Amino acid sequence: MTRATATRPNPPPKWPYTVAGLALVGVVLAAGWSLEDARWERLPQFPGAIWQYAAQMIDGVLTWPGAHPDGQADPDLTYGDWWLQALKLMGESVALAWIGTCVGALVSFPLAFLAASNTAPWFVRMPVRTFFNAIRAVPEILLAVIVMLPLFGLNPMAGAMAIGIHSIGSLGKLTLESIETIDPGPVEAVVAAGATWWQRIRTAVIPQLLPETVAFWLYRFEVNIRASAILGVVSAGGIGALLNRVLRGREWEWGGIMLVVIIFVTILVDQISAALRHRILHGAEATAVAA
Amino acid sequence: MTGAALERRDGPQGPVRPAKPPPSPLLIGGVLGAVAVTGVAGWAIDFSLTPVIEQWSTLMMILGEVVHPEWAEITDPTSRLWTALMETAAIAVIATFVGSLIALGVALLGSKVSAPPGIYRVTKSVMAVIRSLPDMAYALIFVAVVTGPLPGILALTVFNVGIVAKLTAESIDAVDQGPLEALDAAGATRWQRARAAIVPLVLPSYASYVLYVFELNIRASVVLGAVGAGGIGQLIMLYFNRADYPRLAAVVIVIFVAVIAIDLLSQALRRRLV
Repeated sequence: MTRATATRPNPPPKWPYTVAGLALVGVVLAAGWSLEDARWERLPQFPGAIWQYAAQMIDGVLTWPGAHPDGQADPDLTYGDWWLQALKLMGESVALAWIGTCVGALVSFPLAFLAASNTAPWFVRMPVRTFFNAIRAVPEILLAVIVMLPLFGLNPMAGAMAIGIHSIGSLGKLTLESIETIDPGPVEAVVAAGATWWQRIRTAVIPQLLPETVAFWLYRFEVNIRASAILGVVSAGGIGALLNRVLRGREWEWGGIMLVVIIFVTILVDQISAALRHRILHGAEATAVAA
Repeated sequence: MTGAALERRDGPQGPVRPAKPPPSPLLIGGVLGAVAVTGVAGWAIDFSLTPVIEQWSTLMMILGEVVHPEWAEITDPTSRLWTALMETAAIAVIATFVGSLIALGVALLGSKVSAPPGIYRVTKSVMAVIRSLPDMAYALIFVAVVTGPLPGILALTVFNVGIVAKLTAESIDAVDQGPLEALDAAGATRWQRARAAIVPLVLPSYASYVLYVFELNIRASVVLGAVGAGGIGQLIMLYFNRADYPRLAAVVIVIFVAVIAIDLLSQALRRRLV
């Protein structure tokens, strides 16, 4: 029979995708229409304006650091001062992200054992999990304005603690998920040898868990560096506060220098952290091959 | 008896345990390095927990106001809170939709499976630069052109393109080679390969990334409002500057419930997709 090879099978129907796609476009159009003060007619202005700002930013970045910018109150101020100031504040951002990550890691690690189904009974698990989810649902900026700024005032400790508390939720969730997916073999072996709960955790769970968890911490550090920029808007430390002031004041040359410092430091830290994560997860041999 | 050989290895209280291997110098170095970085970072931000004790009463006073939220803001559907929340949702929907559409194209240009080597390297580096700026920086620049929801939408769109394009490009890198080989053997062009093999294969993971950035966008649009880019963040800044904690508490409750609801919804959808 040649018929079996000659006829093509019917393609599956396409209309459900068409309907879903049209519904989605409808929701998006409705959303656009509901924004009364969106001023869509200003959209064509963006490319030109952004181009102009970017040109001024690049001007600022390429100017010799010893030169004096125009229109500043202090006549001795140089572009070099802007570079040093941006580096110092970005250093503060990285420092507060690191401290925040440490707080998140140190608190979430023990709590995760109380939240995983293979290390804790349900009546312990439920409250701890609810705690993690609740923390994750509150954005850092709200934690900062309601709790941390009244406690620590307008300084980097407030930002570090807001980031730290928020990180407890996300790191706790990641850690408890990796506890739940460990190989049960070693746990059974130590239980058969008469291990207590603590010995079980210490000898069978933590060694399996540690590489992945440390990689999560490093990843969270990368995320937290970006988050720290946001906290600057409420003056909770780091480079964000000055960036907010400078860009709002349309000091594009100054802002360009700050953005270049942010991009450079962020990419540098990302690269170091990615290399460390790769080494921790895949060992020396794989890293040597990849390099 | 083989006892003679065994007895020599036995100590007075039974068999001798093998010695524990010493910790590797790399591990010691890593731990010392981490401790040193923590020390420097703590010094740089003047780490101190004494304000927790000193300012405890201030915090309690504020929390005392926070636990009595202005319920009228929540129960009245015409209040500023609901208007701002709807604006935030609309910003997130539009930015997710537009950003994800652009990201799919960028992802195809950013993977060595679907793009020529030169193009994919350039796309990857440009994307890394775009991602390294926080969404806040984009919002601040766009707000200089025009205020209101439009800069918020654009800032989030750029942010979404960065994330979705990166994750989708990584999925394209890991795509099953079988269908691609079949198409190459049949003489497919680059566009046909993308259309017939790559996009269908990455569609489920792409869809789950889109839902993931939608969750992120709801959180992020809360923040963008703080620099004047529309949405509920503007209310947060307003009430914060006025120290109007009961109204701020109402905002917190609404954001909290909205974020959890959207998390649950998108988790359920993602479980079906993957």
